[in-house]
Amino acid sequence: MSSYGSRSALAVVGAVLRDYLVLAMIAALAAITAMVEPKFMSAANMVNIMRQFGPLIMVSLGMTFVIIGGFIDLSVAGTINLVAVVTISLIQPMGQVPALVTGLAIGAACGALNSAVILSSGALTQAEALFLTFGMSTVYSAFALLYSHGSTMHFWDIKTSKSIFESIGGGTVGPLSVSFAIFLVVLALLWVFQSKTKEGREICLTGGNKTAAALAGVRIKRAIVVIYTIGGFMAAVGAIVLFSRITTAAPVIGAGYETNAILAVVVGGTTLKGGKGSVLRTVMGVLLVILMSNCLNLLGVSTYLQVAVKGAILVFAIWLDNRKQA
Amino acid sequence: MEAAGSDVILSIKEVSKSFPGVKALEKVSLDVQRGTVHGIVGENGAGKSTLMKILSGVYQKDAGTIVFDGQAVEHTTPHQSMQSGLAIIYQELNLVNTMSVGENVFLGRFKEMKGMRGTHAKARELLDSIGCKVSTYRLVSALSVSEKQMVEIAKALSFQSKLIIMDEPSSSLTAEEMCELVKIINQLRERGISIIYISHKLDEIFDFCDIVTVMRDGHVIDTKAKSEFTRNELITKMVGRAIENEYPPRPQKVGGVLMEVRSINTHKLHDISFKLHKGEILGLVGLVGAGRTEIVRAIFGADRVRGHEVLIDGAQVSVRSPRNAKNAGIGFIPEDRKLQGLVLPFSVESNISMASIDRFTKFGFIRDSLEKGIGERQVKALAVKTPSVKVPVGNLSGGNQQKCIVGRWLEIAPRIFIMDEPTKGIDVGAKYEIYMLMRLIAEDGGAIILISSELPEVLNMSNRVLTVFEGRITGEFNPESTPVNDIMTAALGLSGGCE
Repeated sequence: MSSYGSRSALAVVGAVLRDYLVLAMIAALAAITAMVEPKFMSAANMVNIMRQFGPLIMVSLGMTFVIIGGFIDLSVAGTINLVAVVTISLIQPMGQVPALVTGLAIGAACGALNSAVILSSGALTQAEALFLTFGMSTVYSAFALLYSHGSTMHFWDIKTSKSIFESIGGGTVGPLSVSFAIFLVVLALLWVFQSKTKEGREICLTGGNKTAAALAGVRIKRAIVVIYTIGGFMAAVGAIVLFSRITTAAPVIGAGYETNAILAVVVGGTTLKGGKGSVLRTVMGVLLVILMSNCLNLLGVSTYLQVAVKGAILVFAIWLDNRKQA
Repeated sequence: MEAAGSDVILSIKEVSKSFPGVKALEKVSLDVQRGTVHGIVGENGAGKSTLMKILSGVYQKDAGTIVFDGQAVEHTTPHQSMQSGLAIIYQELNLVNTMSVGENVFLGRFKEMKGMRGTHAKARELLDSIGCKVSTYRLVSALSVSEKQMVEIAKALSFQSKLIIMDEPSSSLTAEEMCELVKIINQLRERGISIIYISHKLDEIFDFCDIVTVMRDGHVIDTKAKSEFTRNELITKMVGRAIENEYPPRPQKVGGVLMEVRSINTHKLHDISFKLHKGEILGLVGLVGAGRTEIVRAIFGADRVRGHEVLIDGAQVSVRSPRNAKNAGIGFIPEDRKLQGLVLPFSVESNISMASIDRFTKFGFIRDSLEKGIGERQVKALAVKTPSVKVPVGNLSGGNQQKCIVGRWLEIAPRIFIMDEPTKGIDVGAKYEIYMLMRLIAEDGGAIILISSELPEVLNMSNRVLTVFEGRITGEFNPESTPVNDIMTAALGLSGGCE
């Protein structure tokens, strides 16, 4: 990300520490919890952590693109709600594969619709995008409620085969859970897309300075459509991983995912200012967020306090990010 | 007209200030006498504004001492410096448009004034004392620039200011308003108030300043009583060398028509049509806000403009976006380098390669070696001073940043180059290098449209100038053979029509 050349040794140590503060925090957190509560290292807890990891990492990877592109997407909660209830309801009438494809397409369409709203209204600041996507989120959630009549749908109500979803939820390939294997594949693809392709570069330039990028002939509108479509698509992947694991889909299943995803991206070290960041950093951010709630749970900290801790960490991460820029 | 008092109100000793990559001030020393008007002249980037911002507490000095009214000044804030009797009136004026005149004069001090009645009464008194008749109940947004300046002066007086700094106050005043201002300045001097008057209009300096300081490249070059300066001496000291060497010769090989623009019409522009020739530098002259930037943005497709025609080599091209313009062979250096030109946290390399992404990608994938080649080629060709192509472009000096933008476009070899304020805020040496580049581009058969707020620059670089006033082209001139006054007359809209 940054070059450490031509600086004093102390400054380099400081810079590395700031850049990879998350890794240090993850290690410290794991070590402390393992000492206080031996259950942390148990196989059951590890599986638990891996499972929780699945949905959030998918949503966060998509969110990383939106944030690198200089925008933000609060609509993922609504997208998850809609995709989850629609996909699960289609398994029986349409069959598994068409249901899966439809679900992913709805997610991508929701994302593309966000970008269309943003572009057509000319609301090209992050703050405006924040409110627009918040509005879109309520719209998608409302559709989810209307579609499902507010009721929760369960796997056991589905009479036909649902083997794909069952294996996403609990299957394994070799030593890995299926959802973890999906994560590895998706991560590799997105990393190459972000750092090695023309589109990825145009997204970074758009996030770095939209005006300058546009005046240099960079296709910023296209970049905006791409980031939101990826964001929506990845929210759909997250939704499918999520309801496959818990085998039910309620129309409010996605609540909180937007803030957790933003938290994970920012804590990972991708700047909210846009332009710089990486999907790899987001993996670290998600790990920290999941480990933190796992540890706090094991240590018996109340849920209310956990929310406060999360908020404090987000504030701290943004504060640190701003200090780095200054 | 000699100084009324002889004691020193402000003493600056060896003050230095650096910004990353730039030495803005280098051991600047300066004394301002009580009750004098002290003119400071210098080109853009000479350090005048930096010095004033240190005095008013916006910046902190790196080294040196400042003594104001017998008190050493260390780590002040703008508020503290105002309280201590040092007021600064910025070019862009610092008033709250949605509040009344009286409220602006005593902003945040209504309690001390015993409420609004006291506020308006006291404001009236202050305004009367400088002969200003504007009602204290009027909204500031409804005032003219000159009236706003008077409100600023009244505000300064309300703090019992002993020193008032005026930063280019005349830049948007009419001749009549200027006379008013001079009257007020003379009156303030009689009351024993010192004034630092910053300007690059030499007429004003010779008109009413007592003492003149010349600054250049962050140094104080000379301070003398006005009467001891001759006009030529002042200019030579400002520019640093004989003026003949400031610009390279104009391009010599002007050919046939390269681009023709037909009838650009927007709410700001009216029937803009002109031709641009091969090998030519065409200058657009006009006031800030006259529509110069809007014209070139329309040609480049940066703003949504409909109904006009652009012909290159006689063939019509459709330019609906900067991307279209780029593909049609048009390059663009925007007026605000930092906001519109560069992605500051990104490397020199990726800033240079921004316009030529297609050239370093194969099947949609980036080839790092190709990109590095582009960066290094342009850095070498333009002699950009940077430790490597990987450092953030924000670390470079203004001139080198500007070269990166030039290099970005040279990489795609545009035939038409639009340059909006290409030398704004960069030092004299780098300016000359940019001028040489412009000349080279033109000699290679390209053409340049040049916009600059520095009149000498446009007049000395261009083969031909168009004057723009209130969105209309008001004249076409050969700057070599036309008296400057004629061009200015057209640019100020004083006489319409082409010659």
